[in-house]
Amino acid sequence: MNIIKFVYILMPGSIIMTLLWAPPAAILGDTSRIIYYHVPLAWISVLAFIISGIYSGVYLLTIKKQQIKDLHEKSHISASLGLFFTILTVITGSIWAKVSWGSFWNWDPRETSIMVLLLIYISYISLHTTLSNNENQGKICASYLIIAAATVPFFVFIIPRLYPSLHPDPILNREIRIHLDSRMRLTLLCSLLSFTFLFFYLFQLRIRMHNIGRAIEEQRDEKV
Amino acid sequence: MVNELFRNITKDFSIEFKNPSTLVTSLSFAAIATISISLVSRSYQFSPFIQSILLWLIMFFAGMNSLLHIFIREVDHGNELFLKLNSSAFSVYFSKLIFNCVLFLFLQIIITPLGIAFLQFSIQSQFFFIAIIMCGGFAISGTTTVLSAIVARSGGRGSLFTIISFPVLLPVLWVAISSTEKALGQSGFWDSESLVFLLAFSGMIIALSFLLIRFIWLDE
Repeated sequence: MNIIKFVYILMPGSIIMTLLWAPPAAILGDTSRIIYYHVPLAWISVLAFIISGIYSGVYLLTIKKQQIKDLHEKSHISASLGLFFTILTVITGSIWAKVSWGSFWNWDPRETSIMVLLLIYISYISLHTTLSNNENQGKICASYLIIAAATVPFFVFIIPRLYPSLHPDPILNREIRIHLDSRMRLTLLCSLLSFTFLFFYLFQLRIRMHNIGRAIEEQRDEKV
Repeated sequence: MVNELFRNITKDFSIEFKNPSTLVTSLSFAAIATISISLVSRSYQFSPFIQSILLWLIMFFAGMNSLLHIFIREVDHGNELFLKLNSSAFSVYFSKLIFNCVLFLFLQIIITPLGIAFLQFSIQSQFFFIAIIMCGGFAISGTTTVLSAIVARSGGRGSLFTIISFPVLLPVLWVAISSTEKALGQSGFWDSESLVFLLAFSGMIIALSFLLIRFIWLDE
């Protein structure tokens, strides 16, 4: 059985936990429940960008042997899914910022970091589109994705720690402790897990869609 | 290998000296931008924050024109195949990197006094200001070298270069602008964290670029 299909159980389960089981935060009340969506979305965005960088690296290393198929497409799919989840992270973050800090956008270091990541991957999409008829598309895009993935730790871990931030303590803080109520912590962890499964589910789905599209094109070419 | 590197650097500089049109265009842009801002602001004394933003934006956009040109020139002159056959990835990449670093440093040497004269920069922490200008310039030229190779290979031109390089360079500009603001506004200021960030970022990008250049430029 494909383990990724656990998403059918995990996702509804974690939605129920986030809305009904987890207690509201002390000051923010029920609006704090957006944390269970905002944080996992940010996590899978970073995960998707790192996976696209890894696929690109493997693609460049095995380019001559062609041992693994469709690595370029996989890295592109992962990057575009990352871009989609980054947009959702920005939207959920803006809603939460409006409720907590009074405005949708404050140019807080973490907000700025995620916005710059968004711009980097929008640039990647425009590069990928520009190169659609270029035989070097795979190599050039893979190189750009590796550079883009290498900047991710600077945006996620270094810049937010260099400048004072409105954001609460990161989950990976200096004390390596999550400052949350035990039920909230468990809900957040379940949400992180189910969103990770959701990412891999969507990733697999996009690869299948890509393969079907290619098979249809091949059949059409054979007929012609 | 060192001889090959030296030969490539000499070739790049001698071509540039024979026809310095790109460098002249970049310097003209920097001069026109600085003087225009000074003219329209009527000698208004900007805050250190605005001054540092203006300084780095003028440097960035002046650099965009000249830093792209090194790889594009090889494509335009039809030297691509010659370089692939006769030069190693090491000498191709590092010759272009050194060329870009020197070129950008030269631009900075011209732009900074222009800023002091026309935008009334008053530098309070001179040593830190010089350090941040040099580290920021190194990070910009280090990052844009590989991106210019990408643009040259993709057949794109200026607009694609700006689109793909601006977001990658934003952390450099961000740190450089905030540090320059402090160097302009506070005397005796020193922030090694910002310098380490810029050098670490440049080091990481240069190391990656060296590994990637064989795939981008040499078709390995």
